[in-house]
Amino acid sequence: MATREDFSRAAESGKVLAARCPKCSALHLAMTRFCPACGSRGLVAEEVEGRGTVATYTIITVAPEGFEGHTPYAWVVMAIDGTPLRVSGFMAGVASPADLPVGTRVRVAGHDERGVLIERS
Amino acid sequence: MEKVCVLGAGSTPYGKLGESLVEMIVGASAGAIEDAGIEPREIGAAYISNVFGIADKQVHLGPVIMSRLGIPERPSLSIESACGSGSVSFREAYANVAAGFYDAVLVTGAEKVTHTGTAWTTTYFAYCSDFFYEGSAGASFPGLFASMARAYMSEYGATEEDFARVAVKNHDNGMLNPKAHLRKKITVDDVLSSAVVASPLKLYDCCPFSDGASSAIVCSERFAKEHGGKYVEVIGSGRGGSPAALQDRKHMTTIDSTRIASEAAYRMAGISPSDVDFAEVHDCFTIAEVVNGEDLGFFEKGKGVEAAREGKTARGGEIPLNPSGGLKSKGHPIGATGVGQVAEAYEQLTGAAGERAVKGAEVGLTHNFGATGASCAVHIFRGA
Repeated sequence: MATREDFSRAAESGKVLAARCPKCSALHLAMTRFCPACGSRGLVAEEVEGRGTVATYTIITVAPEGFEGHTPYAWVVMAIDGTPLRVSGFMAGVASPADLPVGTRVRVAGHDERGVLIERS
Repeated sequence: MEKVCVLGAGSTPYGKLGESLVEMIVGASAGAIEDAGIEPREIGAAYISNVFGIADKQVHLGPVIMSRLGIPERPSLSIESACGSGSVSFREAYANVAAGFYDAVLVTGAEKVTHTGTAWTTTYFAYCSDFFYEGSAGASFPGLFASMARAYMSEYGATEEDFARVAVKNHDNGMLNPKAHLRKKITVDDVLSSAVVASPLKLYDCCPFSDGASSAIVCSERFAKEHGGKYVEVIGSGRGGSPAALQDRKHMTTIDSTRIASEAAYRMAGISPSDVDFAEVHDCFTIAEVVNGEDLGFFEKGKGVEAAREGKTARGGEIPLNPSGGLKSKGHPIGATGVGQVAEAYEQLTGAAGERAVKGAEVGLTHNFGATGASCAVHIFRGA
């Protein structure tokens, strides 16, 4: 089964590491051990292009530890093109909701100490 | 199964308190024991909910509390389920009495965090999220609920002013609660002009970090009748779960755990949402109360803000939500909150709620969840 490190490495190259159910073909994020749709085991790793749209987000002004120097920044949930998957991550340089309407095109642009990095595409 | 009742309740005030975590728990527990009119040795076991005992240098709370109560030989269980710890603890108390393991048990919850400051609490509370995906990418708890709020606005055309009305209503209720943390009347403009914490949520959309403890005595109906004090019957109990991370939810403005838990509780009680006279719901943020009203079946999806606008959720409305002031005004000591809701239901249904009483109430519901609703428990009570 994929580890957090595998997921992070895929994000570094702009991909989302997913897992496909061998029985019902449902697609989930990588670290899922049993298929939530049908309960099967043996999910198979599958990389998906990290491209999609903003599903929702927030702009953080009161930050948790480690993020104080980055405010304001956005924490974004993006919907991945052509899949039922969503992935969340950090987006720098967003100060106002006018900067990032829901539906904006975005991509996975890396992974570092701020988690999955998301940028406008 | 035994019929299960609540025979007494006690709470500290909620707010910034000087007592230690242990002192608060002992105080609230002694209050519940007095209120129930029982002796400590009649307590068969205790269920103790707390999340950040480490902040006050005490974990393994059970034996410490039982020793202070003079019953060190009685078993205890510490329970952590983030902000939903209190209701989960109550459920364990309920289940053990229903199963006949004990005639009477103590359920008590507490939190002590205000001395640590906003940076510590913001960081540690984020550990309750699915941390790899959420907290470690900079999401705070206000940020997670803010993301739900933006999704709700985008889907249903709700406005920040709609959310603000929830805060104003809960502060109005809290004004009548002598134990509330924030007893301050506020206006929609106060909410809209307060500092942004995580857009679109502002300071007054958020509940405070509070200290406090709440306790209740849970017992069999036979035990309650023998003791002769006022009691309420637990007629429904349900639990449910949701994907831990927001990204994995089918619908980001529906909390499945609430639907699952409440459907189970309604089924057990043999009632429908329209039979409920008031509800204490988990309004950690204004958006949460809106979503909860829908997921509990009081309003259709997308109609929660309209209900708040029309006063349906006010005291005296169609279905009063949070007559205590809720987490927003009464306060949110996270391990205590779910037990505090039970204490409020007990007071409302035994004629002890004073000025904030919901007139003629016979059936009350409590709803409390952990994190963004990843875990949830719902209970339904009827006055005896």
